[in-house]
Amino acid sequence: MKKLAAISLMITMLAVALLVNARPIVADIPAPPIIGSTISDFTLPDASGAAHTLASLHGKNGTVLIFIATQCPVSNGYNERMEKLAQDFKARGINVVGINANSTESAADVKDHAAKNNLTFTILKDNGNKVADMLGASRTPEAYFLDASNKLLYHGRIDNSRDITQVNSSELRDALEATLSGKPVPKATANAFGCSIKRGGE
Amino acid sequence: MTHSAKHIHVRLVVGSAVVIVSMLLLTFSAAAQRKTAHKAPNNRAAKPPAQVRAVNAEEMQALLKRDGKRPLLVNYWATWCDPCRDEFPDLVKIDRDYRAKGLDFIAITLDDLSDINTAVPKFLLAMNAKMPVYLLSVADPEPAINMVDSNWSGALPATFLYDNTGKVVYKHFGRVNPGELRAELEKLVGSKQ
Repeated sequence: MKKLAAISLMITMLAVALLVNARPIVADIPAPPIIGSTISDFTLPDASGAAHTLASLHGKNGTVLIFIATQCPVSNGYNERMEKLAQDFKARGINVVGINANSTESAADVKDHAAKNNLTFTILKDNGNKVADMLGASRTPEAYFLDASNKLLYHGRIDNSRDITQVNSSELRDALEATLSGKPVPKATANAFGCSIKRGGE
Repeated sequence: MTHSAKHIHVRLVVGSAVVIVSMLLLTFSAAAQRKTAHKAPNNRAAKPPAQVRAVNAEEMQALLKRDGKRPLLVNYWATWCDPCRDEFPDLVKIDRDYRAKGLDFIAITLDDLSDINTAVPKFLLAMNAKMPVYLLSVADPEPAINMVDSNWSGALPATFLYDNTGKVVYKHFGRVNPGELRAELEKLVGSKQ
């Protein structure tokens, strides 16, 4: 038995040595704020160059920030859904704001894209990924729902599928509805595949 | 020397012998493993190119399992993803350079199932890609994303390197830096040349 113990100890020591030798895994994108934390005010220009603050854009019942792209097919698959979300909740005191943080897409591209796709909500241009870094945003589309006091209540996908015929869970809409009814958000995070945000320098 | 002291002495000798034998055994088995890895057939040539199999989340999880022999590189991509297309030639070269050295490499596409016989194989043929390619087909992507990595948002491309025990030793979100990835691969399979 003691021999067995000696062998086990030996193997354990080797395993520990291998683990200690392992390299740390480096993450490139800042971690997103935790659900429930308050998002600080920021200032970004829209596609025409006019500056907006989060304080000036937020609705009386909250704000939805969505990182979007002009060229990403996943983000583009959501154009109509995002516009409808903005229309549906405007009268209910929640404003939808788009943010384009792709260094590969210019303010002029953003303006053209919005016009072509009938996007009427404000779209900000996040040059230098200031806000994308602050929110730990990594893909398009990626949504953040802040309540009236800018507390983060939901972070993640709009729904489960870029193909509208396959949608069977709408986490973002559910979060908005729950908050307007004074209920807790049923699911505070959910992921989906999307395009990487092309940060400056990539 | 008392009887008990003699007993302890014998125990120490036996103990040391066990340690030495275990170390030798481990060294030999590692060497044998390297030899196997080195002799493993290069299945690039045998595999017909551009055949893509659809998998669900459970089947994908099974693909990521390791049996202690070969490390695994996994790239998540899609034909609609620009940086994925941009990095693909580098990955094809990495597959060519490291498969014979003992690396398994699979590419998992998030294209629509409707593209499995069209856009996906067309792209793979154009890239002269020889690694096995699978298309993840799921109604809800979240369980699959969380299964791979709880810190992954689902942004494409994403690349993960597992050692031969299935432990993630390197991951990268966004377009890979081929030099950085090759340096990580050298640490895992470089000595097996």
